[in-house]
Amino acid sequence: MKRAFRRLGIKISDSWTNFINFFKVANTNTKASMSLMGLGQFMYRQVGRGIMYLGVEILGILFFAIYGFQWIVGLFTLGTVQGDPWTGKQGDNSVIFMLLGLMSVFLLILFIALYISNVRDANNTSKLVLKGEKPKKFKDDLKDLLDKKFYKTVLFLPLLGTIIFSVIPIVFMILVAFTNYGEPYIPPVLVDWVGLENFVQIFSLGEIGPTFFKILGWNILWAVATTLLNYVLGLLLAILLNKKIVKGKFFWRLFPILAYAIPGFITLTAFKFMFAQGGPINNMITSNGGSPIPFLTEDGTWWARFIGLMINAWLTIPSVMLLATGILSNINSDLYEAAKIDGAGSARQFKDITLPFVIFATTPTLITSFIGNFNNFGVFYFLRSTVTTEGYFVSNDTDLLINWLYRLSIDNQFYSIGAAISLIIFIITSSISLIIYIKSPAYKKEDTFR
Amino acid sequence: MKTMTLNRSSTKAMNYKVKKVLGAVAIYCVLIIVCAIFLFPCLWLILSSFSATGSLYDTPGFFPESYSFDAFIKLFTDTANHNYPQWLANTLVIAIFNCIFSTLLIIGTAYVISYFQFKARKGLMKSALVLSMFPSFMGMTVIYILMTQFNIVNNIWGLVLIYSCTAPLGYLVQKGFFDTIPQSIYEAAKIDGATNARIFTTITLPLAKPIIVYTALTSFTWPWSDFILPKLLLIEKDNWTVAVGLMQLGQDEFARFAAGSVFIAVPIVVLYFFLVKYMVNGMTSGAVKG
Amino acid sequence: MKSKKLISTLLLSTLVIGLASCGGGDDPDDGGDGSVFDKFDGNLEVGATIKVVENDTAIKMGYLDELLDAFNEAYAEYNITAVDANQGEFADLPNSGPYGYGPDVIYQANDVLMGWVQDRHVTPLPVEKIEAYQSGVIPSAAQAAYQAEVGGVNYTFGVPLNIQSPLLYYRKDLLPADWETTWDDDQNGVPDMVENLVDLYEFSKIYHEQDNTKYGFEFSLNDFYFSSGYLFSYGAYLFGDNNRDDTDIGLHAGDARYGVQVLRQFAAEMSAACIDDSAKLAISGSMASGKYFSSVTTPDVRSVIVSTLATTYQSEKGLTLEEATALAEENVIGVPFPDLPANGDLINPSDEMIECKQMGGINGYAMSSYTKYPNASLAFINFATSYEMAKLREEFLQIAPARSDVSAESTELSKQLFDRVSNGSIVLMPSIKAIDQVWTPAGSFMGDVAADSNRGANAKYDTLDKIQAALEQLSQDIYDAIHLLDR
Repeated sequence: MKRAFRRLGIKISDSWTNFINFFKVANTNTKASMSLMGLGQFMYRQVGRGIMYLGVEILGILFFAIYGFQWIVGLFTLGTVQGDPWTGKQGDNSVIFMLLGLMSVFLLILFIALYISNVRDANNTSKLVLKGEKPKKFKDDLKDLLDKKFYKTVLFLPLLGTIIFSVIPIVFMILVAFTNYGEPYIPPVLVDWVGLENFVQIFSLGEIGPTFFKILGWNILWAVATTLLNYVLGLLLAILLNKKIVKGKFFWRLFPILAYAIPGFITLTAFKFMFAQGGPINNMITSNGGSPIPFLTEDGTWWARFIGLMINAWLTIPSVMLLATGILSNINSDLYEAAKIDGAGSARQFKDITLPFVIFATTPTLITSFIGNFNNFGVFYFLRSTVTTEGYFVSNDTDLLINWLYRLSIDNQFYSIGAAISLIIFIITSSISLIIYIKSPAYKKEDTFR
Repeated sequence: MKTMTLNRSSTKAMNYKVKKVLGAVAIYCVLIIVCAIFLFPCLWLILSSFSATGSLYDTPGFFPESYSFDAFIKLFTDTANHNYPQWLANTLVIAIFNCIFSTLLIIGTAYVISYFQFKARKGLMKSALVLSMFPSFMGMTVIYILMTQFNIVNNIWGLVLIYSCTAPLGYLVQKGFFDTIPQSIYEAAKIDGATNARIFTTITLPLAKPIIVYTALTSFTWPWSDFILPKLLLIEKDNWTVAVGLMQLGQDEFARFAAGSVFIAVPIVVLYFFLVKYMVNGMTSGAVKG
Repeated sequence: MKSKKLISTLLLSTLVIGLASCGGGDDPDDGGDGSVFDKFDGNLEVGATIKVVENDTAIKMGYLDELLDAFNEAYAEYNITAVDANQGEFADLPNSGPYGYGPDVIYQANDVLMGWVQDRHVTPLPVEKIEAYQSGVIPSAAQAAYQAEVGGVNYTFGVPLNIQSPLLYYRKDLLPADWETTWDDDQNGVPDMVENLVDLYEFSKIYHEQDNTKYGFEFSLNDFYFSSGYLFSYGAYLFGDNNRDDTDIGLHAGDARYGVQVLRQFAAEMSAACIDDSAKLAISGSMASGKYFSSVTTPDVRSVIVSTLATTYQSEKGLTLEEATALAEENVIGVPFPDLPANGDLINPSDEMIECKQMGGINGYAMSSYTKYPNASLAFINFATSYEMAKLREEFLQIAPARSDVSAESTELSKQLFDRVSNGSIVLMPSIKAIDQVWTPAGSFMGDVAADSNRGANAKYDTLDKIQAALEQLSQDIYDAIHLLDR
């Protein structure tokens, strides 16, 4: 531990000296870029780059002067004037303050990053010039974006979208976990920072902690079981349908596709009806003299869990099959021919070529579907959302964490507690899946089949 | 001697044949069972959409006792509260554009992450995984407020925007596919002096047909079944999607609910008819040899 | 170097501005003064468009069009138009209103509208400018359903228009042929089995014996809106202080356990469909086929039952659609809940009977706090709750009016319901937000009670003591759901 700290200390002091040295060594053009973004580039006659960097600086300063700074201040205060919709008095909306503040922080980071890239760029150009090469032309930059730097072009939009609609909401929810946002502190009432109070509540209040652990246990069991089941069955189905002996593949594939084509919430409603107390299955049982089975009622803990598993298999297997079919068709047929020449039978071919290939190509699916199943909201929301179980705080014994979170934050408006719980879950699950992912062959040996 | 070997080989062939036939029978039996399992609920849904009474909860068995087209007629004529044709049009627009944008973004992301080796790559992969672990509706309140600030609430294009922007996070499956495309294909093109952009459009994309079709199908089908986010974002009924509308319909009008759902399954099944051949006819072998 | 200076000056100046804007905040809680009503200055906003959220049934039956047309004609000179907000009857005002997408005027039940008071999404109304209140036709119970105290002042937030409550529906043509002699002890022309639960219990057994696929009485116990009345009849209440104090949950109060026992006994004579939603969703078909002789549901479902029964008549009796519909209208009858035995035991009932209470609500109009046209919206509310429109509404929708003058001219059932609201036999849904936390746990509990008869030796609710303990636990769970996370 100590050593790690010392190493960190050395690293920091190193980078500081590096920085000082860099400043000392830097030539005029680099320094020019340091003082005014793009100036150094202009001095190398890189007009295109220069204009862009200068534009960034002007826009950035204008933005922060007019809005950005205020918004960042708002992130700390979360508003000071409480509005009143009854009298029409305009007040501060804490939630909007938080969001705008967060966005300004992101923009500030972006601005700093661009500033650094501007200095670095000027410095790199000056090194090129020292070597006797010519500074890069703007035309070359554009060309690069279609070749060497093509990844930047392609990734620009996805990154932007992800930051706005995934990263910001997530950081926002993490921040909410440290506020008192939620009944009765909902705008127009002002929201405040409360530090770790929500986490203290979760673990100190009688019912919430135990509910959390009970649901977490079931959630993990569910995610593992349903992922493996769907994966294995979907793969088997695809392989079965890929066999040469099967005639009319198109026809056979149509049935799973039919299941795939009908949206999940419809099939789930239909399944709920089938297993209802007055539904056809129980009707058949009772008309033959049996007593009705409590499939989805309060008694039906394991019935409901089992049915959920089966229904999810029904819903998911077609898409696994589709994917595996696409992948199977992509196996390099040379491999098979080579195997045939070596005298390998069809069983050997399957074991040595088909299976490793398919497993390799679909491991990422396993991980995504594990994540999807861990957060599978639909199945138990449709089957059992009207049931609560004793000993579970506003929840029941088939609810997954996501269902519980939904009840807490959407149905009951405990946003901050919901956010705190999801932060805990988030930390647990993302670290587990991250470890699994990093250890997986699809991540470690990406080039296996190239 | 000669006759003996002939005999032996012919019995062997017989055995092999019997085995083969038995295997085929077994395979077909399994297939029939599997297909029945998939077909039954669908068939049940289709038949119940033709239920004459409109409700399904009143029959003792699975299937309605009498049939009619009433539910379908109502679906398209009784639009005072449930403007199904409008919802259908909205969802179709959302689905088509989401299909185009999402597929572009996902395929691009997956290809780049699979093919390029750049500094931030592993970091991006890890953060994408971590980001996708977060329960999506926890961020929904924020997304709603964000959209009010952009002033695109109650607008189907807002939904297209959100769907497309969050799609690339699910690139992992597609990347798995690109990882199986042999490098040799690219190298040949590189020697010919093609830029990466050119390689992508002329070589990678045609090769990736199966996965493109898969991605397109998934992104096309998603808007038909999502209802939490659209319910929040699309305020007026005329802007609703089919899923939001059907969820409001309630189960006491089950036949209409079923009719509405059978009807939206049609475009997806039709799409499958047209696209399936692209999905299963792999082209790798051709490309390498050619 | 210049730019650096520029930045720092700018930063400094914005800092100053920012700090300055932090300083001047008024007292955040000034809801109590009279300024709330300042916006109702009586000047109609010329050219206003008022977005109205209405009930789905009112739209379906064409009433909303009548109302809008009449209003728009009356206010044509001010160029004010009212339109359908087109947001469905469950418009999400808390989410859409603050950002300017919400409706202006909303018709809903009192629990929904009043649930929005705490966060100030609906605005207090100036009672002195509302005709319905000034003419004294609103019973005090209905008035109370739209009142709430905020910051020490009592405000009114809505104008009552209709009474909604579940009813017992039965098939007149399935009564025994000689019911007037055998099943009408008090000779009042109403069959005993729909007057008291003990006789309905007896009749159910006979009905089921004749055909074991049929049931005399069946409804979804897990819908607390239907089943809570049985608990209220024996002294339970939802919240203390006339349903205003959410720290006092009284589902176990008085002899509430008797109500649970009654339902548990009756559930044994129902099919399994009473445990979950099945009975509620199957009602139209099941009543049409005679599978259920009687059931509980809300009045808006009656038209569905009637039309399903008419279809059955058409095929069974060879009638034309008009004849069949007329016959079905005659045979599907709604009545208030039958009386209960005072000792809470259907098997060994006492002679003394008590009135069965039932939960209900008052539907009315309220105004969004975010409306830009408070005066025009107020004019609309006044118009829509006037005698003429209330009467037209009753004719179109056949629902029980909450105005005494319209109710007096209405059907017998409407008058009964009106009286029941006035005398407290219809327990109105609480007008506080905490009611949201009641439906699911309480409904889930009642479903579990309904399932108890299938458990045999493992019964959870077979003694009054067990029931009492379970009810106390339920009250505690609801309390926790509301208050555990208080700070």
